[in-house]
Amino acid sequence: MHDLVFDHVSKRYRIRHEVDAHATRHPLIRKWMNLWTRPEDFWAIRDVSFAVERGEAVGIIGHNGAGKSTVLKLLSNITTPTSGQITINGRLAALIEVGSGFHPELSGRENIYLNGSILGMSRGEITKKLDSIIDFAGVRQFIDTPVKRFSSGMYVRLGFSIAAHLHPDILLLDEVLAVGDASFQAKCLDRITELKESGTTIVFISHDLRAVERLCQRVLLLKRGQIVMSGSAKEVVAAYQSDATLSSESVEVHKKGETKEVEIRALSFRDESGQLKPIFQTGEALVARIDYEVHQPVKDAVFALLFFTADGQQHCELTTELSDDQISLSPGKASIEFRTPELGLLPGVYFTSVHVQERNARDVIHYQYKSTTLRVDFDRVIRGNFFLPHEWSIRQVRNGQESEKEVVGSTR
Amino acid sequence: MQAEIPLQTGTVNDRRTKVIGPPGFSPVTLLRSLGGLWQYRDLLYTLSAHRIKVRYKQSVLGIAWAVLQPLSLMLIYTLVFAVVAKIPTGGTPYPVIAFTGLLLWSLFSTALTSSTSGLVSHAHLVTKVYFPREILPLTYVVAAVFDFLIATFVLIGLLIYYRVPPTMNLLFAVPIVVVLVFFVTSMSLVFSAVQVRFRDVGVAMPLLLQLWMFASPVVYPLSAVPERFRNLYSLNPMVGIVDSFRSVVIGGTPLNLRALGLSAVISVLLLPLAYIYFKQVEATMADVI
Repeated sequence: MHDLVFDHVSKRYRIRHEVDAHATRHPLIRKWMNLWTRPEDFWAIRDVSFAVERGEAVGIIGHNGAGKSTVLKLLSNITTPTSGQITINGRLAALIEVGSGFHPELSGRENIYLNGSILGMSRGEITKKLDSIIDFAGVRQFIDTPVKRFSSGMYVRLGFSIAAHLHPDILLLDEVLAVGDASFQAKCLDRITELKESGTTIVFISHDLRAVERLCQRVLLLKRGQIVMSGSAKEVVAAYQSDATLSSESVEVHKKGETKEVEIRALSFRDESGQLKPIFQTGEALVARIDYEVHQPVKDAVFALLFFTADGQQHCELTTELSDDQISLSPGKASIEFRTPELGLLPGVYFTSVHVQERNARDVIHYQYKSTTLRVDFDRVIRGNFFLPHEWSIRQVRNGQESEKEVVGSTR
Repeated sequence: MQAEIPLQTGTVNDRRTKVIGPPGFSPVTLLRSLGGLWQYRDLLYTLSAHRIKVRYKQSVLGIAWAVLQPLSLMLIYTLVFAVVAKIPTGGTPYPVIAFTGLLLWSLFSTALTSSTSGLVSHAHLVTKVYFPREILPLTYVVAAVFDFLIATFVLIGLLIYYRVPPTMNLLFAVPIVVVLVFFVTSMSLVFSAVQVRFRDVGVAMPLLLQLWMFASPVVYPLSAVPERFRNLYSLNPMVGIVDSFRSVVIGGTPLNLRALGLSAVISVLLLPLAYIYFKQVEATMADVI
């Protein structure tokens, strides 16, 4: 029995290119000319077919722009396919962006009704579940206060609580697990696991490979609008990772027609001995090597390597800007290596961006954005936001005398 | 905080199968759309109630605004047309003429203005969650009808003050308002859908409504329009609606069934067409909003 069938589904977007701003001065004339430019077709997904069995948990992964969000929008019927057919068997609920249907002026109680009915619950159903929703969110005291007076934590909890009380046949999950604090995320995941165990079909579309691996048996890999792989979670995630680290396409941002003084050629991650390494452990030594080519001399150059989390937040950076030592570049090929003895990043996939610029200059010389990913694993549990290298030692007190301290262990 | 969420026990086999395909039109899709709307009737109710509540929350005068608006307009137009311009009204007090017109016009213009921007101002919802999108413009129509009902009490007061005796014809007021609601609903569906792609509509709306109001017998009686223009003039559905409402309320002139009939036919034919158009736009609304 299939709960969800994608049958040769394609989705086309039409992109209109703006007429070059320099061609004509007057904005009205430009508008008029825009009306006559031919829109360009962009196929967000093309001829995608898959089926999801009842009770199955399927993950969909892929790079930015691979068509994941289009699949999500099609599944939740926010938009319709250009061709093909989607069959949905049962009540589908999308657990996306908690609280997006809240109205600040209305009380918590009124918002439960409002949000609940937007998500597709009937008033009777909401009334029945009202107490349970309030208790789960832990906002009973404030339930008749306008939600604009809620703390952001209460807001998120109430939003999730409403969504968690939907009893869908098919649950659609976005990056919901990326919001809120750790305890909220854990609660979120617990509830989802609970639903899964009770036989709810789950489709999970995410960047968070660990969560996908944990939740889904089967994973589909999307690439440029097509399914390129389908298989067990482990298999597909592994394939995706090696694909992400080795054969990534570089997205370059630079002015057309200008030769750059410096061009970034490649970014690679290596171990201490200089060997390429696909996956790093938290706490391991990491060498990031940037290969570049200098076309024209630069007097005082600054290199920086930025790490971003899956949801696009800048996480940390390695930069030569922190020291006042000048780096002067002369034409030719070269590389720069950043070394960190103990990697402080927690497990996950990080996007990177590399840029080179002249110190205090307004424009960067060359910029490579999200072209390479860094995958970090850790086989032990670590809590918090980052890893702090540390060691520990013990001092024994014998006969009132403190002994020499003995190093007992370290994170190395 | 640690409350358990009861899981649904026992599998009920009442699963609905939904098929999403490329946008297209057939009578079946129209029926299916209506079915979908029916499924989401609770949302229509909740959102409409919410519109009404939010509108008057945190305003000192609250619900009195529903009354104040047409009332103050009536005073302004009375000053202009009855005191300054001295327009002939055939014996009926001008404030009654103006208020009967403005009452219906407020319903029409409030519903149309607010619903036109309704989809765009809810873009965050439209791009995140599915629900039949027509619910958004419809809630504004419902809220406008609610305001209309409140303002009706002023009309009753006015009729008592000017000693206008009620007649049996007054019962016609109900179907006339129904025709108006049909008409404004179809206009709201079309305008809100167009607004998604072309924001020009929203910008042009105040001007359009101003023109439309003076092209309808809102602040002047139909008798003020020269006879030879009447036929052309009556093609505007608001003419039949406003004029017949006025004549059944005031009772002086006979009910012009022809004009009302024309308005009714236009409105009734327009609604399904508007709905089909709206549904067509809805299919890719989230892509362009």
